[in-house]
This record gives sequence, C-alpha cells and structure tokens, in this order.
Amino acid sequence: MNEALETIGRDLGRMFEALAGLLFVSLLVPLVWGEYWAIPALAVSGLVPFAIGYSLTSRFREATRPGKLHGMIIAAVGWLCVAIFGSLPFLLIAWTVELGVPLLETPSRTSTLAAFTDPLNALFESMSGFTGTGLTMTDNEEVLPRTLQWWRSFIEWVGGVGVIVLTTAVLSRPGSGSLTLYESEARSERIHPSIVSTVQTIWWIFLLFTFVSILLLWAVGMPLWGAINHGMTGLATGGFSITDNSIATYDSAAIDFALLPVMLLGSIAFPVHYLILQGDLRNLYTDLQTRWVFIYMSLGTLALTMFVYAAGTYDTLFGAFRYGSFQFVSAATCAGFQTAVDATNVALGRWPIQAQLTVTFGMVIGGAAGSTVGGIKLIRALTLLKGIRFRIADVFYPESAVRRLKINGRSLNERELRQEFEEAAIIATLWFVFLAVGTFVLLLILPPGEYTLENVFFEVASAQGNVGLSAGITGPESLPTLGKITFLFNMWIGRLEIIPVLVTLRAVFDRGGLYQ
Amino acid sequence: MTLREIPVVGELLESGAEDRVFDTLLLIGPGIILVIALLGRSPLTLGIAIGYLVFFLAYVLYRGVQH
Repeated sequence: MNEALETIGRDLGRMFEALAGLLFVSLLVPLVWGEYWAIPALAVSGLVPFAIGYSLTSRFREATRPGKLHGMIIAAVGWLCVAIFGSLPFLLIAWTVELGVPLLETPSRTSTLAAFTDPLNALFESMSGFTGTGLTMTDNEEVLPRTLQWWRSFIEWVGGVGVIVLTTAVLSRPGSGSLTLYESEARSERIHPSIVSTVQTIWWIFLLFTFVSILLLWAVGMPLWGAINHGMTGLATGGFSITDNSIATYDSAAIDFALLPVMLLGSIAFPVHYLILQGDLRNLYTDLQTRWVFIYMSLGTLALTMFVYAAGTYDTLFGAFRYGSFQFVSAATCAGFQTAVDATNVALGRWPIQAQLTVTFGMVIGGAAGSTVGGIKLIRALTLLKGIRFRIADVFYPESAVRRLKINGRSLNERELRQEFEEAAIIATLWFVFLAVGTFVLLLILPPGEYTLENVFFEVASAQGNVGLSAGITGPESLPTLGKITFLFNMWIGRLEIIPVLVTLRAVFDRGGLYQ
Repeated sequence: MTLREIPVVGELLESGAEDRVFDTLLLIGPGIILVIALLGRSPLTLGIAIGYLVFFLAYVLYRGVQH
C-alpha cells in the first residue's frame, strides 16, 4: 500500500471516529424528546462512520505523519466524506418516516421531511451545516423532528470551529502532524506553542461563549430550545434556524439586537478572545482584524440603513437601522440569519439593488481569519489594500530606499510582502473566478426571467462565503439538481479556502505522487 | 479525587484561560441551562441567567482593568 494513502487513510479514519462520536452523543436528543423512532436511524448513522473510521485507524496505525500535500488532501476529502456521512441522519430518519416502519410509531409524514428522502437534498443540508453555510433544503424547519433540528445546529456548531480541530482536540497527541492538518483547515493562528493545546483552548472558549450566547438569547425572550439552537448556530456563524422564517419568526427587536454581539463574537479570531479573557482588552482595537471587524460592521450598517431608508423600504429610521444592522452583520459575519423576510416586512430579494449589493459585499469579505466566519477574510482584504497602496507609493521613492510594510504590528520586508500579497491575491482571484463560474451556471439553469442577476450573484456569494442568506433561489424544488451540485462545490471550496480542494482535485486527476 | 482528575472536566480545566472564575462559569453553564429547562421562565430563573451574564461581563472588564 502506498505510504501516502496510509497516512491519509489513518487521519481520515480519525475524523470519521470523531463524527461517529458526535452522532452517538446526539442519541440523547431523541431520548429526551421521546422521539424513540429516530434512534435506530441515528445509531446506524453513527455506526457506519465508526466502523469505517475504526478499521482505517487500526489498519494504518503505524502510518507516517502527514506532510503539506497529505494535509490538504485529508482536509478536502475529509470534509467531503464528513458531509456525506453527516447526511445519513437526514436520509435515514426521513426514510424511517416515509416507510412508516412498524413497531417504531413514526409520526405522520411531512413534505419538509420527505425532501430528505432524496440523497442529494440530505447531502446538501449536511454540507451546508458542516461548512456553516446555512442554506437549506427544508421549507419549514418547525415541522422537523427535534432530533434533526438538533443535528442541523450541532453540525454547524462543530463545523464553525472545524472537524479537524475537533479531531485534533479529542484524538490527536502532540507530534502527530497536527500542525499540518490545522493549517489545512484554513487556520494558522496559534494560542499556545502546541497545536493540541491550542485547539483545546479554542474549544474551551467556544463552549464558554456558547453558554453565554444561549443564556443571553433566552434572557431577551427566546424560548429555550430556540435559544440553544440559535445560540449554537449564531456563535458558529452558521445560521441554521429551527423556525420557518429564521429570526424574523420572533419579530422581536430585543432578540435581533441580542444576536448582534453573538454573531460578532463568532467573527473575532480565537486568539484575540483568549487574550481578552486574559484581561488584555487592548486587543479589541490594537489587533488589526478585530479593529476592522468593528469599523467594517459600522460602515456597512450605516450604508445599508441609508439605502433601505432612502428607498422607502422601511417607514421609520429605527426600522431601517434594525433590519439594516442585523442583515449587514449577519452577512459580514457569515451567519446568514434573516430578519428581512416577506412574513414580517420586505424580503431581502426585494430590497433595492444597491442594498443587495452592499450585503453581497459583506458576504464576500467576511470577518476575521481564525474565527468561525467564511468569505475572503478581513486580513486578506486589508493585505491587498495595503499592498496596493505600498506598490503605488513605491514609485515616489528612490530605488535605493529600504521600505517595509506594516501589517498588524508586523514589519514585512520585500520578500515577506510579496509572499503575503501573492497568497491574498491568489485566494481573492480564485474566489471571484468560482463566484463567476457559479453565477454563470445558475444563470444557465434557472428559469429565464424568474430571478434577477443580482439575486443570482447574491445567492452564489452566499453559498461560497458560507453565509446562508437567500434571495429565494435555494430550496428542494426551486433549485435544479445541477444548481445543488454547484452549490455543494461552492460551499466546500468556500470553507476550505479553495486551495486544498484544487490540490486534491489535481492529485486525483494527475495522481500527484499518490501512486508512485 | 480532585476536579482535575475527572475525565472531560479535568481536561476542560487544563485547557482554558487559566482562570478559576472562567472555569467555574464554564462548568456551571450547562447546570443553569438544565435548571431553566426544568423550571421554565420565572423571575428566579431569569435572575440566574441575567446574573450569569452580568457576572461574566463584569469579570471580563475587571480582568481588563486589573491587567
């Protein structure tokens, strides 16, 4: 057996074992809510990845540490496989109800649950959950069994931090190549010198903030089950809801405003959270990304409020601010909760064009690297802007001048600048290329005249930015099969920041040394 | 047996912000949610939840001032 395949197999096996653990923990939910009929489906969903994971880790126990190429392939293939296995609860629970298995006393069939009998819809939901996107194949989340409501929220919560981060925190030991895997999952910041201890601290912070978020939402009036689910998906900036009209269902300004800090917490890098908990509050403004999270959110909110108020979308300035601030923060933190829906006011898809494009801009940039958000990330956007300014100013200096670019307290020399600028430019370029490809595909397959260009652009940016705001295109019936496959790809590359997926595809097509 | 020796709990205490107060907030968080689930919304449970939030925020600020 090829050495590389053994390493990849061993680490994928660990990820599957971690996923099985999540599924077994989730068995508590049907027990608590009395949905006993869902237990066999959930147990089988856990046993499948456990059996495969256990056999892989046992067989390749002695495999060597992963290198950079292996790390990228493990991350890309692992996320795809986790999404596939994570779709089993949707599929099997839906089929349990559809077939009305005798002895299990299944509830009556609903069209919402029936949509998951299609494996593609189940996979879409799972990929959307794990990548923290939040686009959904359900048309009414309220009628889903509690077990599936929980599973949707839980996978977003885990996916927000990362499946590899979870696996590393639980199953890895120091020196097992954790750094390579950690960096392959679109992370690079460390809290401690050891990666294992870094990821454990990340989970510690995430858990504490989850309890804070749940209690905050409950205190402002959200029912407890809603607070648990929305606290988890809000902090993970995933955006799945358990109500039909997302957060608009509650139609409460207090809940809207309480969710703002929850989403903002999710969009700040974990190392900054750690320093703040240590008492170093200066990081709220000295850290470049955190400072820009606040500046960027404020400017976006202001612009959006102005656009929707000036266009007469909302009657009062407070209304424009309430919906404008929520939707911009929800988009820019990549949470994707919606308050602007038809049931309560004006749906996002019918906002003025300039407002829709402002929200799209928020989705494209995203929040801070090292947090739970998607998008290009603020640090890359800032590196590009500062790099461009630096290059233009270069012309005004003599050739002999020694210049350095300062970014986030670091002073970059010419070589470092070129490296960082190149990385930011490559990812930004690829991001826009795949955004354009996705838009093109959707324009080809959607019924002509039904959706505007800005609607389509908005929806693709939402999928690729792992945001989940919808202009109404995504749905089990409204989105054609090819559109679902396109969005699956957009969500996958968006979560892993494109390059690991491209490296994997090249390795698969070109054999990239795997079979040598 | 000390708290640090308990599985999961011990690892949680080892992992965090190296502060006993934050560790305590983390450990009692699920307990408060359970109490709320059992007792429902009442002035008492609301007071406990708000107390938790205010204490968390105040302690973060206190740590900041102390720093």
